[in-house]
Amino acid sequence: MRWLYVLITVVAGSIGDLLSAHGMASLGEQRHFRPAGIAGNLRFIFTHPAVLLGIAANAVSFVSFIGLLSVSELSFAVPVTALGYILRTVLAKIFLGELVNWKRWAGVVLVAVGVLLISV
Amino acid sequence: MLSVETDHYILPVSRLRNRTTIAFIVVTNSAGNLLLALGTRSLPAFDVSSLASYLGLALMNGWILAGIAVLAVSMYAQLSMLTWSDLSYVVPMTASGYIFTAVLGHVFLNEGVSVIRWAGIGLISFGVLLVSETGPRTVHEPGGPAR
Repeated sequence: MRWLYVLITVVAGSIGDLLSAHGMASLGEQRHFRPAGIAGNLRFIFTHPAVLLGIAANAVSFVSFIGLLSVSELSFAVPVTALGYILRTVLAKIFLGELVNWKRWAGVVLVAVGVLLISV
Repeated sequence: MLSVETDHYILPVSRLRNRTTIAFIVVTNSAGNLLLALGTRSLPAFDVSSLASYLGLALMNGWILAGIAVLAVSMYAQLSMLTWSDLSYVVPMTASGYIFTAVLGHVFLNEGVSVIRWAGIGLISFGVLLVSETGPRTVHEPGGPAR
């Protein structure tokens, strides 16, 4: 059961971030920190299908993570879901065409291993 | 007003803005999670089979509502950052939250930090440093149209 929660938490969260990133990129660079700019961004977020789907997938991931915490220790749940860092990077490279050079790969692997270490 | 003027210029994507935004995302995320944790103390144990009634109780809890509000602000900041940053940049950069949490726990709560935990914090810090050197965007030009 706990591996099902792990799978849903990691995969739904990664796909959610992928969809959100894809949707937000189509808005173009936002520098607005005025209320009118923020209102415009919120209108975009709540009407863009990919962003909404991304938020929904992240909500599923969040509830699944709570479920995981109810059947396992924090010291299992936190490091195992750090796999999400790797999966997000792989998905961003494949589907968003982001250029992941050796520094990014090394950085994200170090982060994932570091999360594993602080949780044991 | 500076904030009004900057909307009319294409500024170079500054390191300061990247770091400020990451710090804002991380701090609001940690604060939101802390509020949620405080709120769940007064709730029954989570059980998927009674998800609806659990959510009903949770949504009447002031701490949890405050936590959700703060997490929503954090999420908005992250979505905004994704309009000018790669996902493969933002995601590892937000892992600096682990460093923030560990240092706060050590300084303010006197939590003991084992050698292994310090090693983990060191690896995360080094990883975040490496990713920060790659710059926020590889997909499209700063100020240019979206892909």
